[in-house]
Amino acid sequence: MDNEYPTLHGVGDMRMGKHPIPEIGPNDVLLKMSKVGICGSDLSLVYKGRLGDFNVPYPMGLCHEASGVVMQCGQKVMHLKIGDRVAVEPGGPCRICTFCKSGKYNNCPEACFHAGPSPTPGCLARYFKHTADLCFKLPDNVSQEEGAIIEPLAVGVHACRRAKVTLGSSVLICGAGPVGLVCLLSAKAMGATNILVTDIRENRLQTAKKMGAHSTLLVRNEMPEDLAKKVTKTMGCQPEITLECSGADDSIRMGIFATKSSGIAMLVGIGNPEVKLPIVNAAVREVDVMGVFRYINCYPIAIDMIAKGLIDVKPLITHRFKFEDYRKAFELFKSGEDGAIKCMISCD
Amino acid sequence: MSSDNLSAVLYAKNDLRLENRPIPEPGPNEVLLRMAQVGICGSDVSYLTKGFIGDFVVKAPMVLGHEAAGVVAKCGANVKHLKPGDRVAIEPGIPCRMCDFCKGGKYNLCPDVFFCATPPDHGNLCRYYKHAADFCYKLPDHVSLEEGAILEPLSVGVHACRRAGVTLGSKVLICGAGPIGLVNLLTAKAMGATSVCITDIAENRLQVAKEMGADHTLLVSTGDAEALAKEIKELLGDMPDITIECSGAEPSIRLGIFATKSGGMMVLVGLGPPEVKIPIVNAAVREVDIRGIFRYANCYPLALDMIASGKVNVKPLITHRFKLEESAKAFETARTGAGGAIKVMISCE
Repeated sequence: MDNEYPTLHGVGDMRMGKHPIPEIGPNDVLLKMSKVGICGSDLSLVYKGRLGDFNVPYPMGLCHEASGVVMQCGQKVMHLKIGDRVAVEPGGPCRICTFCKSGKYNNCPEACFHAGPSPTPGCLARYFKHTADLCFKLPDNVSQEEGAIIEPLAVGVHACRRAKVTLGSSVLICGAGPVGLVCLLSAKAMGATNILVTDIRENRLQTAKKMGAHSTLLVRNEMPEDLAKKVTKTMGCQPEITLECSGADDSIRMGIFATKSSGIAMLVGIGNPEVKLPIVNAAVREVDVMGVFRYINCYPIAIDMIAKGLIDVKPLITHRFKFEDYRKAFELFKSGEDGAIKCMISCD
Repeated sequence: MSSDNLSAVLYAKNDLRLENRPIPEPGPNEVLLRMAQVGICGSDVSYLTKGFIGDFVVKAPMVLGHEAAGVVAKCGANVKHLKPGDRVAIEPGIPCRMCDFCKGGKYNLCPDVFFCATPPDHGNLCRYYKHAADFCYKLPDHVSLEEGAILEPLSVGVHACRRAGVTLGSKVLICGAGPIGLVNLLTAKAMGATSVCITDIAENRLQVAKEMGADHTLLVSTGDAEALAKEIKELLGDMPDITIECSGAEPSIRLGIFATKSGGMMVLVGLGPPEVKIPIVNAAVREVDIRGIFRYANCYPLALDMIASGKVNVKPLITHRFKLEESAKAFETARTGAGGAIKVMISCE
C-alpha cells in the first residue's frame, strides 16, 4: 500500500505526491479515506497563503472535512474496529494544558489542524492516521458524504450553542454560503422560530429558503445602519442573536447595529484581521461581540441530528469530483459558479 | 422648609448657571430629598463642555448631577421603607418597569428610562429633589453621605465585574486608572481576584492604584500593543482571563484584546470614539468575548454592602470638595484633573 496526497508548496501551487503509509500509535487508527469536502478556509490557505494571522508553513497538507473507513486499530483502541465508517474530527489537542483539561480543547495552543510540517498529510489523502477518540462511528443510515459534512455542521452547532440559540430565538444569519447554511440548519433544529438570512446573491437566498429560513433579504449597497433597519422590518423585531457568517466588514457592522440590546453578535466568518467596528453602539446596548473557534464536543450531536432526520445536509453537496481531479474541485469552489456550495472529493 | 432650591443648571455648552427652581412635590411612591453630596462624573463634564454625548443633546436647560446622596425630607403616601431624616444614596435611573427589558431584570436597558442629568431629564445637583422611593437606599449610620454618593460609580464597577465574571482566583487586567478604573480595581479585589494589573498613561494615577490595592501596574504609551500584552503576561505570570477596559481609547482596547487569554472576556466600560479599529479575528478565533456595559442594574445593594462591611474603602477616591455655589470651579477641577483630582464632590447642604 502506498499513500498518495497533494501538498501545498506556494500560492496556488498544489502538487500530488506518493508517500509512505503512516505508522499508528496505540491510541490511533489508520483510515482509508472516503470523502473530503473543501472549506472556505482551505481556499484562503491555498490561494492567499494565509488565514487571518496564520501564514502557511509550506509545504502543507490540504483539507479537514472528511470521512473514512478504519483499516487498522492501535492496541488501546476499544470503541472502533476494522471496517467501521467514521467521521473525522480534525485537530490534535495536547490533553495536558489547562484549556484541554477544562473542556475547551478547541482553544489549545498546540492543536494542530491536519496541517503541520510536511510530510504530514491533510485529510485529502488515500490514507490518514488519527487519534481514535476523535473518530466517530457513523450509524448505518448516515452516508460517507454526510460523514464529511459533520465538520462544517459542527461549526454551526458550536456557534449556535455559544450564541445560546434556543426555543423561540430570533436569529439573523449574515451570509448564505456553506457556513451560513449549517448555522441555519443548527439554529432551526435548536428551536429558533424567526430566522432571517441575508446574502449578496439571490440564488443563495433561494437555497436558504428551501433549507428552512423563515425569511431572506438580498443585500445591495445599503449603509449598514439602513440595512439593519430593513432586517428589523422584515423580521418584525430585532434579532436577539446574529450569526455573522461572511466575515465581510460591512456585514459585521450591520450585524452589530441590527442585534437587539442585551443580545449576541457571533462572528463565525473570518475576514480581515482588523475591522473598524461601531463598538460604543455595541457596548452601551450590551450587545456582546463573540467569536467561535472550530467546535468542542459537537460531533456526537451533529451525527445524531442527521441520523434521526432532524437535519438534512444532503442539499449542501452540489458537486462531486474524483481524487485526481482535486484541482478542479478547488477551482470550482473558488469561482462559486454553478451554484457550488460543498464540493466533495472521493478518495477511494 | 426654606424656599431656596438653588440648582446648577446647564443652559447650553459652557453655559452653567446657578438659579433657584421650584421645590418639587413627591408623588405617592416618591420621596422628597434634601440633597447632601453630589459627585462629578466625566459624562457631566462632557455635557458641560460639548453639550452632547452621542445622540443625547442638551436642547433645553437641564440640572446637572447624578452621583448623589441626600436626606429624606418628605415621603409619599405609599412609601413604607423610608422616613424623614433617613440618609439615602440615590440610584439615578428610573426605568418604565413594564417593558420586556424591565420585566427581564435588565432595567438598565429600558428605552424609556428617566436618568438624572441625561437630557432632557433633570439631575440632582440642587438643594431639593424628588425621586422614586425604591431607588433610594438607606445608609447605615457609619456610612457617610459622601460614600453614599460614591455608590453610583462603584455600581458601575459592580456591574462591570459581574458581567466580566470576576470571581475568586481571577487574574484581571484593568486598563485605565481614572475613577472608573479604580472602582473596578476595588470591586475586582473584593470579588476575589487574586492578581490585578492596572495600566495608565500617567504615573501618578498608577501610584494611587498601587495604594488602593493593585498587585501590578504598567505605564503604557501609545506603543506596541502586542509587546505590551507580553509584558502584562510576564507581570501576572499568565495572560489575564478578564480585561476591564476603562479608558475608551483605541490603543487600550487593542491592548486588551491581545492581552486577554483565549476563552476569556473583555468588558468595555470606557466610552471613547464611536468607531474603533479592532483586531477582531484575533479576538474571534481565540474566543475572547467583547462585552459592553451600560450603567448598572440591581447593583446598589451590593455596592452599599461592600462599603458598609468594610470590604472596600472608597474614601481615597474623594480628593476635592466644593460647595454648590462653587460648582463652576468644581467642574473646572474635574475637567482638568488639576491637583491629582480623582472624584470631585459638591456639597449641597
